[in-house]
Amino acid sequence: MNYFTESLFAALSLITSFDPDIYRIVLTSVSISITATLIAALLAIPAGVAMALNTFRGKASLQHILNTLMSMPTVVIGLLLYGLFSRLGPLGSWGLLYTPTAVIIAEAILIFPIMMNLTIAAVNSADPRLVPTLISLGARPYTLTVHVIRATRYAILAALVTGFGRAIGEVGAAMMLGGNIQGFTRTMTTAIALETSKGEFELGLALGLLLLIIAFALNFALSWLNKS
Amino acid sequence: MTSAYKLSDITLEQQNKIILNIPHLTVESGKCLALLGENGAGKTSLINLLAFTHRANQGSIHLFDQLVGSKLKPSQRRRIGLVHQQPFLLPGTVADNIRLALSLQGVKRSHIPKLIQQALKQVNLMDFADQVASTLSGGELKRVAIARAIAYQPDILLLDEPFSHLDHRHIQLLEDSINHFAQQSGKTIIFSTHDRFQAQALADATINLVAGKITAAPLLNHYHGNLDQHFFDTGKMKIHVTSELTHARHLAVDPREIIVSPQPLQSSMRNSFSGRLILIAEEGHAIRLTIECAERFHVIISPEALSILNLSLGDTIWLSFKSTAVTVF
Repeated sequence: MNYFTESLFAALSLITSFDPDIYRIVLTSVSISITATLIAALLAIPAGVAMALNTFRGKASLQHILNTLMSMPTVVIGLLLYGLFSRLGPLGSWGLLYTPTAVIIAEAILIFPIMMNLTIAAVNSADPRLVPTLISLGARPYTLTVHVIRATRYAILAALVTGFGRAIGEVGAAMMLGGNIQGFTRTMTTAIALETSKGEFELGLALGLLLLIIAFALNFALSWLNKS
Repeated sequence: MTSAYKLSDITLEQQNKIILNIPHLTVESGKCLALLGENGAGKTSLINLLAFTHRANQGSIHLFDQLVGSKLKPSQRRRIGLVHQQPFLLPGTVADNIRLALSLQGVKRSHIPKLIQQALKQVNLMDFADQVASTLSGGELKRVAIARAIAYQPDILLLDEPFSHLDHRHIQLLEDSINHFAQQSGKTIIFSTHDRFQAQALADATINLVAGKITAAPLLNHYHGNLDQHFFDTGKMKIHVTSELTHARHLAVDPREIIVSPQPLQSSMRNSFSGRLILIAEEGHAIRLTIECAERFHVIISPEALSILNLSLGDTIWLSFKSTAVTVF
């Protein structure tokens, strides 16, 4: 217990003394996650709206695939991309392995099905009169998509927050593709895993606390969005 | 006269059930038309087809003598205004809603404020421009929806059950709004209702819709059952019919073709039933009698006939009608 409380105080002092190493890690984590979220959102939101608004052959199968991808283990994504990006892989010449770009790609792929599914749910839970009303008023495919997104913006924003939360807490792919390089690809989760195994429990605990604070803030934002 | 709509061989199916089956329907432009039918008769589906928010499985629709292809052109969309049974207003103010409709229709930004004012004036809601849509009452909401639909000055206004769930005062205000639109030359109005009086009071013509089909017979005496050769069995009574059909699920008797008499008539009419008179009501310039036989019958007679017959409630009277007064479908 003594060990734990001592470590906790040490961790708190690391946080309150604004230790540059810690905050560099936080910054790397947040920037990688935000970039991944924005890239995934750019594709997942229009794709989700389009899928919710249209009926087409194979829609049910696509929905099943999306549901399956939502629960895909992150290490599997890491493994697949590792195969693609490693020196001997087909995209090895791009030199992406152990770069933030590789981590961003992995996290974007990871959260894409989650965000697309939540967008589909957001549109489906909108008032059933919304789409017929917009069509009768003259909305065409592009303007219809824009206005449906606008009308369901809070639920879609919640999809974004959920995606970001999943990206920032992800460890498997970030470790395999980023490699935990200090000041470059070291994210909060990879640092916690590695520093703790190296015996640097205080640093791990400090990062863990910050990650918890971020998770709290995200959940607070989510519940506020749900209320709206 | 040009036709606003011309429908040919329309079939609409949902979940393997035929919702609408209309071999032919022409709506002349500049007319006010009522779609009359019970709940589930297909009124809303027909309105949605006419608004092109839904598409038929088969058949073609001409809009102002132009065949509408798989995509409705924006110029064609702009000629139609639709008001749903329970209109949906988007978040924001009344003016925001009308502005949205105008911008979706590609109206120039500089013309929008004037058109908003004009539309609100037509529905007599001039002071409501800045009111938040979610705070409107049911009647106001319907009038705002009408203002939104007519703001871009369409040639056709489609209204699905516009008078349902409204009190008398709001019905009057809504009728005024519709009449205001109708007074502009060349405007076509199609509205659905289950209220025969509303249909007769407002419309130039009425279309009777029963189980997705247009019937010539008014809907006063409509029964479900089965056709068995020359008889239609409603389950409670058998009615003699002359029809070439071998299969039919519906029967309607024209209420003006039924002859009422205090005694059985000696005539060639194949259908004759006795029943108890339970209602005498004024209907426009005519009189409606309701007679309880095995089924309930409605008969339309003239006021003169009523005074000659000298009827009182509770009387047992005879109904007679020819097989040709009966339509099966």
